[in-house]
Amino acid sequence: MAFEIPNFAPALPEIFVFTMICVVLIVDLFLTDKNRSITYLLSQATLLGAAILSVVIQSSVPEYTFSGTFVNDGMGTVLKLFIYLSTAVVFIYSRDYLIERGLYKGEFFVLALFAVLGMMVMVSANNLLTIYLGLEVLSLAMYAMVALNRDSSIASEAAMKYFVLGSIASGMLLYGMSMLYGATGSLDHTTIASAISEGSGDDIVLKFALVFIVIGLAFKLGAVPFHMWVPDVYHGAPTAITLFISAAPKIAAFAMLMRLLVEGLGGLLEHWQDMLIILAVLSIMIGNVIAIAQSNIKRMLAYSTISHIGFLILGVIAGTSDGYAASMFYVIVYALMSLAAFGMIMLLSRKGFEADTLDDFKGLNQRSPWFAFMMLITLFSMAGVPPTVGFYAKLAVLSAVVDIGLVWLAVLAVIFSVIGAFYYLRVIKYMYFDKAVDNTPINSAYDMKVVMSANGVIILLLGIYPTGLIALCTSVLA
Amino acid sequence: MSIEPILFYIFSTILVLASVAVVTVRNPVYAALCLVLAFFTCAAVWLLLEAEFLALVLILVYVGAVMVLFLFVIMMLDINLVRSKEGFIKYLPAGGFVAILILIEMCVVLGPENFGIEITGEPLKHAADYSNTKELGVTLYTQYAYPFEIAGALLLLAIVAAITLTMRRRPDSKYQDPAEQVSVRRDDRVRIVKMAAEKKQ
Amino acid sequence: MKGIYLIIALAPMIGAVIAGFFGSRIGRTATHLATTAGVAVSFLCSLVVFKHIVLDGSAPFNGAIYTWLVSDGFRFEIGFLIDELTTLMMMVVTFVSLMVHIYTIGYMKDDPGYQRFFCYISLFTFSMLMLVMSNNFLQLFFGWEAVGLVSYLLIGFWHKRESAIYANLKAFLVNRVGDFGFLLGIAAVAMYFNSLDYADVFAAAPLMADVTIQIIPGYDWSLLTVICILLFIGAMGKSAQVPLHVWLPDSMEGPTPISALIHAATMVTAGIFLVARMSPMYELSEVALSFVLIIGAVTALFMGLLGLVQNDIKRVVAYSTLSQLGYMTVALGASAYAAGVFHLMTHAFFKALLFLAAGSVIIAMHHEQDIRKMGGLKKYMPITYWTALIGSLALIGFPGTSGFFSKDAIIEAVHASTIPGASFAYAAVLIGVFITALYSFRMFFLVFHGKERMDDHTREHLRESPWVVTGPLILLAIPSLLIGYMTIGDMLFGNYFGDSIVVHESRDVLAQIGAGFTTAGGFMLHGLLTPAFWFAMAGLGTAWYIYLQRPELAGFFKEQCLPLFKLLDRNYGCDEFNDKVFAAGSRKLGKVLSDTGDAKIIDGFIVNGSANTIGWLASVARFTQTGYLYHYAFVMILGLVGLLTLFVMV
Repeated sequence: MAFEIPNFAPALPEIFVFTMICVVLIVDLFLTDKNRSITYLLSQATLLGAAILSVVIQSSVPEYTFSGTFVNDGMGTVLKLFIYLSTAVVFIYSRDYLIERGLYKGEFFVLALFAVLGMMVMVSANNLLTIYLGLEVLSLAMYAMVALNRDSSIASEAAMKYFVLGSIASGMLLYGMSMLYGATGSLDHTTIASAISEGSGDDIVLKFALVFIVIGLAFKLGAVPFHMWVPDVYHGAPTAITLFISAAPKIAAFAMLMRLLVEGLGGLLEHWQDMLIILAVLSIMIGNVIAIAQSNIKRMLAYSTISHIGFLILGVIAGTSDGYAASMFYVIVYALMSLAAFGMIMLLSRKGFEADTLDDFKGLNQRSPWFAFMMLITLFSMAGVPPTVGFYAKLAVLSAVVDIGLVWLAVLAVIFSVIGAFYYLRVIKYMYFDKAVDNTPINSAYDMKVVMSANGVIILLLGIYPTGLIALCTSVLA
Repeated sequence: MSIEPILFYIFSTILVLASVAVVTVRNPVYAALCLVLAFFTCAAVWLLLEAEFLALVLILVYVGAVMVLFLFVIMMLDINLVRSKEGFIKYLPAGGFVAILILIEMCVVLGPENFGIEITGEPLKHAADYSNTKELGVTLYTQYAYPFEIAGALLLLAIVAAITLTMRRRPDSKYQDPAEQVSVRRDDRVRIVKMAAEKKQ
Repeated sequence: MKGIYLIIALAPMIGAVIAGFFGSRIGRTATHLATTAGVAVSFLCSLVVFKHIVLDGSAPFNGAIYTWLVSDGFRFEIGFLIDELTTLMMMVVTFVSLMVHIYTIGYMKDDPGYQRFFCYISLFTFSMLMLVMSNNFLQLFFGWEAVGLVSYLLIGFWHKRESAIYANLKAFLVNRVGDFGFLLGIAAVAMYFNSLDYADVFAAAPLMADVTIQIIPGYDWSLLTVICILLFIGAMGKSAQVPLHVWLPDSMEGPTPISALIHAATMVTAGIFLVARMSPMYELSEVALSFVLIIGAVTALFMGLLGLVQNDIKRVVAYSTLSQLGYMTVALGASAYAAGVFHLMTHAFFKALLFLAAGSVIIAMHHEQDIRKMGGLKKYMPITYWTALIGSLALIGFPGTSGFFSKDAIIEAVHASTIPGASFAYAAVLIGVFITALYSFRMFFLVFHGKERMDDHTREHLRESPWVVTGPLILLAIPSLLIGYMTIGDMLFGNYFGDSIVVHESRDVLAQIGAGFTTAGGFMLHGLLTPAFWFAMAGLGTAWYIYLQRPELAGFFKEQCLPLFKLLDRNYGCDEFNDKVFAAGSRKLGKVLSDTGDAKIIDGFIVNGSANTIGWLASVARFTQTGYLYHYAFVMILGLVGLLTLFVMV
């Protein structure tokens, strides 16, 4: 059998990141805690290099390589860039936090970069096998990161739950994939898509496979009823890790949704549409309602994430390229908001103090009007109040849903997001109208403050000028 | 009727029974051994499918390495047998109902009308010199080179993760450093203090 | 040019931001310099635009500056439509505003809210510019509400004064009534035209001319008539037309510069501008035009009558404003949009002048506003005297002044108009001329001539106001005198407005009048022969006779017609009617709704009920998160079973 050397160029970013992981791993061995910043800088350089490579090798038409297991297209490039960006921001935000808690180790960076690699693989996957392996790389790295603080029993418990439930979900996904292979005889998305379009489309085995695959996706996204890990993990993990989990992996999960359901199983649209509707409705309802009862802000944001995931799914439900673009916009925006919200928790925390209860936000306006304002923007954006970008994101997915005639779904989503506005506004009330419980000055690194401010301002600016980003999303999904 | 179907039914029956036993037997060591049995019979079924390499790997890796490790762990830990089965009866109705439901649904889907021989077609018979190992290797290193590399990365990650989570100095444990112990000198341990002798009172 | 348009709109806003946020830090001088500079820049840029659009005859600009979002075909954007009409409004707004800024430096010298005041007036200028420069209904509405808000803030500027708070609340509420109509009108436009862009709507309007809708089942109403009348209700609120006029006299509670800027020269003309801007739609509905005409005529006549009995110097000018707004509205109703806008412009100058002159008098009189306690001020305040005289002459339409040209054009236009209600309107505006002259000169004579009725202390301190006050007076007096003569040819009978105003041929009354027009001088001579001139002279003469020659006659008339005086003094009972019926009624209704509807049903049942339900649900649902791994796993399995059963089995 003749073996053709595949074209490596489209996968250069992945190759680069993996090489750098090995470099970081080895370099870190020779570093002491004092000059750990070399690891930090190397990791940032990795992300920057990957970003440059991704831009250099971008391609407007899908480029397949490695026997069709890898695809490089516009959507992939954009999503990867945002993955790098949010990871870089996570590194900046979490530096002080990790130093104060003795977690500022090379392992954190290596694991995070591994997770990035996994996400990149998922984003560029065109084969069930690649997508699964990418998912596993990401998940394994995240399990380990959640447990990074071994002295915290709550973190270990969270990691354990995450690991077990994640394994079950992986098992289901894999089972679904094997059924899919059985029904179509291929692992390749393109081949699967054509096999489905040739068939009757009502094949019971396909539907069976679809259920399992959707469950695997739903778990990754954290959609109800496969969401149970989300609050525990968000709450239990060190805030830096929560920050990481809440941002970039959602982008990757969206990519997985697109690659699997839309590109691979687009022929089963009518079936997965109904399944996603159930997931979306449950997520929006349960996420928003339970968030109200939380007193821990990390937990509250976890439930808010669940409801955001519901909104994110809405766009995909529409099954139109507008809807996909709206979802893509939503997930990017969500990542930005999530970075800002968890970043703020880390900004307020200090050695021996986590700042993760709602009460810790009381009177923030007296302590720092500027950062209170940034948090205000972020929360408004999460609640979907104009002119922040969150409003536009919600509007885009809702109009996609309305366009296909599912008005009831849009109305329901709006009602529950109004209910959801309550818990965001409550935090704002605490920040502005309550007296500060502690008046410790807010100290943190200069670069973090700058990036934090930029993050908040971008949320506002994108709300005023959303057209650029939405046009980008539309163009790569056209 | 050839011998193969008979063998298949024998192995399959044992496989299913062993699997059920894994969940139901009280003693975890027995459960682990049942799992070993399940792996064995599973490997045998794979052999019938001419997947020799996979069958052997299953036995070598899972039975040889994983299950042994598993047994070690079970034996080293003091597991409360009673507690681990606590609530079994309480959850049985709900759990049983769901399990039966899934079973029925799987039977409907996975029955012969979808996976029968006339649907999937008869598997290809290979000649005696056909090497399953070689074929797998060729596919793995050519068509699936990329997933294979990622799997390599995954393993590296697993090593890093495992070491990260286990290699640490517990704040509450006391450990010894032989290098330090060997290089210890008298001055580090004994302090000779000169003082004037005191008179007996 | 796009950049210049943006500068025009944003320069005052930047001034407002500086004054509002940093005013207390940078001090008074820096504040007034910053805001005045902002408006000055705006004015100068407006001149450039004027040259570009009007003198060079460039094509009008119509385009979006910034698109916020596009939803279902609706474009939410900020855009400018810069044509001749807009240019004129921009010139008027920025010029008067600049004058008022300068004047304020002197007038508000000792006020503790100095910086706040400058912030507000600059903000107002920004809002008004956004309103007139808009190219779509949404931005129009933004500007509309923004000027309303600033007006509210400024009427209540002295927020510790009970009457000021009453007045600004009243202005706010009455305007809300108008805005409700306005908003309904915009909604109707959005609904039927599926666009909020002027150009789209005007282009589609002729196709909609025959569309009817049924608001009350069984009655077909022309869509355009409904839209036009709804929009006009908004204009009635802002431009204080009967019966939504009640807020304007009270708005005199604000500082005088505000009365000049907002409640005489600019904001109140927004309604006039609106109708002129919407001329392509109004021209398609004669019913709406008749409605406009009659409302305008009623306002012009009956509000003028009220001016006769006022003793507060500012209120007299305020009622004259009402009456003049009535004239403009009449012009619009008669399809003489150009005449209406022309009067708007001349009125802006001479009414701002009159208000500022009144302010000058008020400063000199130590904030005494009662004209019965003035008199003989001529020798103390010569500049104020002469400028006020010019303003008053312009107001009554004395031949040669700017007011003469615009007012005469309106009267002639109404005379020529044939739509229903035109003859009534003609009579009303003619009588209105007599009354205008009477009350204007009543005030003028009482203030500047006759016996000195003030107390000795005040008399000792009487002197002319400083240059920052008199300067704007002089600068405003010049256009008050001359602008009519200079521009009537182009604006009314030339082709100044180009395509920005559309008039249906059969109703083009200005063209009819214009047929006999040769020069401004000729128009003036012709004016001497019209009844309007003689009515004005008669009014002037009456005022002279009663208030200078036989002052005792005034008291005599008052006693003879006491009931009439009382009726006028009480504003025809409008205020009482509003207070007793609308205010008390809505309070009662509000109480009923609040007690039963709000407190019991909404708060008790829906809000608290749903909040309690949700809270309860949340606390219950929270318990599903037990923390047990096997529960979590089981939930996942249940999800699997649910989905499998739903999608595979069914």
